[in-house]
Amino acid sequence: MNIEATLVSDLLPLIVYFGAVLAVTGVMLGGAYFLGQRHSAKAANEPFESGIVPAGDVHIRFSIQFYLLAIFFVIFDMESVFLFAWSVALRESGWPGFIEALIFIGVLLAALIYLWSIGALDWRTRRQRIDAQKSGRRE
Amino acid sequence: MSDRIMRELSDRFGDGAFAVQPTADKIPTLWVAREHIRPFLGFLKNEAPPGYAMLFDLSAVDERQRVRRQGLPASAYTVVYHLLSFDRNEDIRLKVALSGDSLSLPSVCDIWPSANWYEREVWDMFGIVFEGHPNLRRILMPPTWIGHPLRKDHPARATEMAPYRLSDEREDMEQEALRFVPEEWGMQRHSGDSDFLFLNLGPNHPSAHGVFRVALQLDGEEIVDAVPDIGYHHRGAEKMGERQSWHTYIPYTDRVDYLGGSMNNFPYVLAVERLAGIKVPERAQVIRVMIAEFYRLASHLLFYGTFAQDIGQMSPIFYMFIDREKVFDIMESISGARMHSSYFRIGGVALDLPEGWDERVREFIDYLPARLDQYDRMVMKNSTIRRRTQGVGTYTSAEAIGWSVTGAGLRATGFEWDYRKARPYSGYENYEFDIPTGQHGDCYDRCAVRIEEMRQSIRIIRQCMDNMPAGPYKADHPLTTPPPKARTLHDIETLIDHFLNVSWGPVIPSGEACVTVEATKGLNGYYLTSDGGTMSYRTRIRTPSFPHLQMIPQMCKGLMIADLIAILASIDFVMADVDR
Amino acid sequence: MNTGLGGAMDIIGILLSVIFVSAMLIWVERRLLAVWQDRLGPNRVGPLGLFQVAADMIKMFFKEDWIPPFADKPVFVLAPTIVFITMLTGFAVIPFAPGVGIIDFNFGLLYFLALTSLSVYSVVLAGYASNNKYSMLGSLRAAAQTVSYEVFMGISIMGVVMLSGTFNLREIVEAQRDGWFILPQFAGFIVFLVAAVAESRRAPFDLPEAEQELIAGFHIEYSGMKFGMFFVGEYLGITLSSAMIVTLFFGGWLGPWLPPLVWFCLKTAAFILFFILLRGSLPRPRYDQLMTFGWKAMLPVALLNLLATGAVALSSA
Repeated sequence: MNIEATLVSDLLPLIVYFGAVLAVTGVMLGGAYFLGQRHSAKAANEPFESGIVPAGDVHIRFSIQFYLLAIFFVIFDMESVFLFAWSVALRESGWPGFIEALIFIGVLLAALIYLWSIGALDWRTRRQRIDAQKSGRRE
Repeated sequence: MSDRIMRELSDRFGDGAFAVQPTADKIPTLWVAREHIRPFLGFLKNEAPPGYAMLFDLSAVDERQRVRRQGLPASAYTVVYHLLSFDRNEDIRLKVALSGDSLSLPSVCDIWPSANWYEREVWDMFGIVFEGHPNLRRILMPPTWIGHPLRKDHPARATEMAPYRLSDEREDMEQEALRFVPEEWGMQRHSGDSDFLFLNLGPNHPSAHGVFRVALQLDGEEIVDAVPDIGYHHRGAEKMGERQSWHTYIPYTDRVDYLGGSMNNFPYVLAVERLAGIKVPERAQVIRVMIAEFYRLASHLLFYGTFAQDIGQMSPIFYMFIDREKVFDIMESISGARMHSSYFRIGGVALDLPEGWDERVREFIDYLPARLDQYDRMVMKNSTIRRRTQGVGTYTSAEAIGWSVTGAGLRATGFEWDYRKARPYSGYENYEFDIPTGQHGDCYDRCAVRIEEMRQSIRIIRQCMDNMPAGPYKADHPLTTPPPKARTLHDIETLIDHFLNVSWGPVIPSGEACVTVEATKGLNGYYLTSDGGTMSYRTRIRTPSFPHLQMIPQMCKGLMIADLIAILASIDFVMADVDR
Repeated sequence: MNTGLGGAMDIIGILLSVIFVSAMLIWVERRLLAVWQDRLGPNRVGPLGLFQVAADMIKMFFKEDWIPPFADKPVFVLAPTIVFITMLTGFAVIPFAPGVGIIDFNFGLLYFLALTSLSVYSVVLAGYASNNKYSMLGSLRAAAQTVSYEVFMGISIMGVVMLSGTFNLREIVEAQRDGWFILPQFAGFIVFLVAAVAESRRAPFDLPEAEQELIAGFHIEYSGMKFGMFFVGEYLGITLSSAMIVTLFFGGWLGPWLPPLVWFCLKTAAFILFFILLRGSLPRPRYDQLMTFGWKAMLPVALLNLLATGAVALSSA
């Protein structure tokens, strides 16, 4: 494959196209801004919470499992980038490259299996696990 | 049978501990002193073998304007406990007389968890205090309401009150009163390492099936606790019963469980007929059964569609709506109306069946079973639907009975009990049908039970169609509505009866009767008290959906929002049926 | 590099036709779902209701351009434009036909992956900026879902890269002259298809907006043109995903008798219809089921597919 420096002139159509997309977006938002009606109503300025006054605040401290997920993402998505490089250079790197990738993917899978076994990939709540166990497998 | 429990009670508490009141419905009715009520109820539930496991209903009557109550203990307000025993297949009714100056009773929430909402309702409607109740606050009326609506001195019509105006300040005040305050329900705002999110799910929410709020305490997506909040659909149906003639109240019943149509007429007219001593001719009985089963089909079809819809399956509801329309087409050709046909009358039905009715009915019941098989493949065999509903929202038979759950929700736990089999009414003993049950008491089984019930309903309708007796469609009795007219111009007695019954409505003899039917969503009972007038003195509507919603917190704690939606869908409730 | 790409005609024609097709898809989807559900769908505005979208567009221009006072205003406005812009820009590398397209890019596939990952910001920012609890729950779901499906979306198409030896989409299409990659890369195709539905956040993977649960989720406070951008962005997304599926697995513009551009459009249309059919038929999994499916089924399959493809490609070379 031919990976030489891409010239700005080659990218020109993309830049023009991107400019056109921005223009369309601007026209749509701007048009709606200038054409749209204005009004004010008492209840319109409250956040919608099923049509009733809200209870408590939106700005709260979250439970940890969302951060856990972010960490998994960083681990697995970053590592998949290495696989992209291997994929495109598969024939150049040959069997030695394959062995290396095999080890790499093996480590990834091992990590996945480890996470699986310690239950880090189980997003169910505790009660869901208990209920599922109680009701058992059917048919 | 009923003598037996009287004997057991007098053995335990002594002869003088209660007074017996004869009633038209033959349910043993005992007056018990206030201090004895808890021991009596505890004995009936736990000690009397076999016990009265279910608190079927808890209501009250304002007796202050009642004229014909000879032989009854003096009472300003009477609280009525209605218990149901599955093992004895018998009911019992306990009444407690309260004088106007000390309106309080001990709470029985610790004996039956379902008493919680019933006691709140009695407090809300009558101002009777239940001591020891965990959270005695208004349930059906807005928290800002002044007065207790079912008291006789509370206005019944808008014209008896000052015109209603909703100013901005008043609107803000009413809104503020509806704000959910977690501390009032004993909830924490923070746990050790995170904050709880409080979320109003409803009253305006696509899956709340009407105006219904569940205030959720969330930890991420997990539901820590939930508080169902009802009353947004309250229209005072019971109060209206005290202002409508016995006859003109029938259309109001259609709108209680508004998906059940004439199924709601059924317990009402049966209770009036019991009070009036009317014997309904056989043809009318069979017609009623057929109509009721058609409405069961209509209601279950809608349930089935919304069940799939709430789990995110978009299409089934449209197919089921088509089938439901066919049911309504048949209802329209029979009664002239579709959803709320108000087809039943005191003493029979409004009209005889039209010519050619059997062809339309046959066409439909030949068509539906194949469609149900298709839906099975589309919905019930879908693996995502199974994963979303199996093992979700489970409860056992004992829990269900403790929470007064009836109907498909009870049968899904494997408890085989159907009012039509256990205490046949309107000739249900003559039909062959099975009682479908589930095993796990989860969302999936509740749906599966209803689907099988539809197949049984088709069976019953087929038997109605094949064995429709000839004869009159209404009883020949002066108290039927509209009254018999054929001989009005031949003898003066009939003419007078007819004139009075049309202009005033029938005068139903004084007495009390509660009649229950296996309605679309569970047991629906009308407990009517007549003071010998043209209007009911007290109309108590025991609806199935009311106690069902009370169980939501227990069913959804520790699950996710998506599970709560599946649970709500599987309960099959209608807010009009809850709030009345 | 191909010549004849990126002319003024290409840029204007592609931009307008992509927007037009995506907007018309709203009508197509509504009518098709209606047909499958024994109803009529929109049939009042113009012949067969064809002008429905035009009428909706006019209405959106005249609706109030409302920004909630409680929202984070700049982010609130920015969020819907992100999905609109990234999805439209994604079409720059799509090889519509020989000589038709915006740019012939050596890193076309990476460019596509980068843009689809950017589009999640749209949903997440919309949820946070709205300051609404339902929106916030929706954006949390969106973040978790997209982040998970992102991981194996990239891995799933690396098999195609191995077989063709390039990230260049036009070369990938040309590499399928001897046979479409759907056959050797069936597992990769399935994983990519699932990931594409999840990335577009459409039913059955519409958890971030899940009408029955979160009412409208991340876009609950949006109305008018900004809502319209989310809406059209969703259809742009399925058009882009369909075009990518066709390019990577179904030989792109390749096909006998008909002109290449017609082939490309027909194949893309077939996948768009498939996306609509999916929406009409499948129920929605629960959050944990979606995550479990992604991490425990799709990710291992994608990784193993990659290894197997590598081994086969090397031994046949």
